[in-house]
Amino acid sequence: MNTGHPKTPTDKPAAGSNVAVCASNVTMDFSGFKAVNNASFELEAGKFLTILGPSGSGKTTLLQMIAGFLTPTSGEITINGKSVDAAPPHRRSIGMVFQKLALFPHMTAAQNVAFPLKMRRFNPKTIPNRVAQFLDLVKLGDYGARRVNELSGGQQQRVAIARALVFEPELLLLDEPLAALDVKLREEMQLEFRRIQHELGVTTINVTHDQREALVVSDDIIVMDSGKIQQQARPVEMYRAPDNPFVAGFLGMSSFLRGTACAGGLVVEGQRVAGTASAAIADGAPVCGAIRAEQIRIAASEAQLGDCDTRLSGVVRDAIFEGERQLYVVALNTAGEAEIRVYHHDPLTFGLFEIGAPVVLGWNTSDMKIFADGGAE
Amino acid sequence: MTRTPDQDSFRYPLVWRLLDGLNTAADVLWPRKMARFTGWLLLAPALLLVGILVISLVQIAESSLHVLDRSTFMPGEDYTLANYATIADSATYARVLWRSLLGAALTVVFTLLLALPYSYVMVRTTSALTRKALLIVLFLPFFIGQVVRAYGILIVMGRSGAVNDILGLVGIEPLRLLFNFPAVVFGLVQYMLPFAVLMLAPALTAIPREIEAAANSLGANWIRTFRHIVIPMAKPGLVGAGLVVGTLSLTDFAMPAMLGGGSQDFIANAIYDQFFRTADQGLGSALALILVALGSVIVGVIIAFFGAGTLGMGGKK
Repeated sequence: MNTGHPKTPTDKPAAGSNVAVCASNVTMDFSGFKAVNNASFELEAGKFLTILGPSGSGKTTLLQMIAGFLTPTSGEITINGKSVDAAPPHRRSIGMVFQKLALFPHMTAAQNVAFPLKMRRFNPKTIPNRVAQFLDLVKLGDYGARRVNELSGGQQQRVAIARALVFEPELLLLDEPLAALDVKLREEMQLEFRRIQHELGVTTINVTHDQREALVVSDDIIVMDSGKIQQQARPVEMYRAPDNPFVAGFLGMSSFLRGTACAGGLVVEGQRVAGTASAAIADGAPVCGAIRAEQIRIAASEAQLGDCDTRLSGVVRDAIFEGERQLYVVALNTAGEAEIRVYHHDPLTFGLFEIGAPVVLGWNTSDMKIFADGGAE
Repeated sequence: MTRTPDQDSFRYPLVWRLLDGLNTAADVLWPRKMARFTGWLLLAPALLLVGILVISLVQIAESSLHVLDRSTFMPGEDYTLANYATIADSATYARVLWRSLLGAALTVVFTLLLALPYSYVMVRTTSALTRKALLIVLFLPFFIGQVVRAYGILIVMGRSGAVNDILGLVGIEPLRLLFNFPAVVFGLVQYMLPFAVLMLAPALTAIPREIEAAANSLGANWIRTFRHIVIPMAKPGLVGAGLVVGTLSLTDFAMPAMLGGGSQDFIANAIYDQFFRTADQGLGSALALILVALGSVIVGVIIAFFGAGTLGMGGKK
């Protein structure tokens, strides 16, 4: 797999620049099960990193090691150049927003925010001002005297953020705090996280399984699967140039073709499909081709397809209307009747093709990414 | 319902048919239109018990108003407050009352001090074996009963008991460990510990681990997490356990009788003496009423102070 370093040189800060968090060969072994397997990454100070992965990918375990709730079986984590592996959580300068927020129900919002200041022995005279300042930052200036259970879900989120940031930690960790919110509130809070993070410039690591959230909030994304870091890159880079079929499938909607490599493409059940490989692959090796649903055009005839250099005919298996777009599932007539998913974005022609209708699909060769087939998808 | 041969071969399980039968019977005995009285029906047994209690309390109150006629050894005919005056004037009864209150208060403090860590470890341990071991150790004495346990303490802490034997090994002369106030409190704490642990366990279980992790990450070590987070959040359990331990200790009979050796009477022992030794029913009844009033006032004040919500019964938030 990938070493965890971004592919394109522009992604990587110049060596020796201000690296805030560095994990080197970190492994967490739960009696034989490697929840995190040899993970290495670097995070530049002031950046917003999202660790993205399905449940069980090891992303939360990695976060808990950074927070100090778990000690890595091997490997080392440094924060601002200092190894933290021997420091218990309360000696690390890390603010954390928990999945279930973990606000203290017997305290008011202001008392919750003041708690870390008291525990970290800030000057008592400065505490009220600082609490007010951070409640203002999260737009809860008037809610300090409320008890936690008198606040709405969104307001509780804001208290949790203020509490995690008020002592100006070196690092902010977000453990899927938005997972339980409804979509509207979640999108609002994603933008809030971004605003606050930009305003304070605090280095942030966010954990989520929500690919949209990762793309929206992050400067940098790490995709994890089965304990391993699959790729680290900026959101646009990662979306444009996934390193492997897992990343291609996890970020966005992709369809896959499995076959053997040939010059300039792959052969699927006797049908040659043109594509582009990012690395040299020997002819005849098993490969996997991936294409994104929005990069495919769909039409009734080849003449209506317009400019595209790969054209394949098929039959509509399913047509799903999603509001801002229509999803078609098309079974190709060749290539082992592989199923291709297509997003159709033209509102004027939504509902044009019924299930069973013959269609032609077209795309550009450069959009069909070809990977050596490691079996993962 | 028409039956096909296929259905004949199928029979519902016995339990299902039994429950169907019960359901039908319940429908006949307590028709649907009675549904709004169902709550009262469910309360009926409890109301019956409380009713009997109230009736006997009224009788006790009545008999506390008659003075024992020493010539006939029968309660006198006249209504009088003389029994209460006797108690108010008596230094002995003041001492007994004070001893009972102090003993109950000390028992509450020591029991909670011991029960909180015990309960915490039992709830938080990740090892099922440790949890089971703690539960068994807790429950073994629970099953033995108060009197037998008091006898056990008499044997172990006696002049030639195991405790003095061990003290003898390090050269300490045999101590008089029994028949004094500390021995009674010791016995009460030992007796109350399982109640307190069992009442604290749900309160501690209700505190999510994530809350403690949050306190850690915000800069609190375990001692400060315990002091600022665990104890305040466990308050309902602490108050509830304190009330149960306090009222049970205040009214206890066996521990003062057996471990106090007659010199450390609580109110219950004094009441027993009046009823069954001097046969002064009136004085005994007056003492009993004072005990009821004392216990009720203490419980009432504590509930008023902490709110009924602290007992986990809803109430104010």
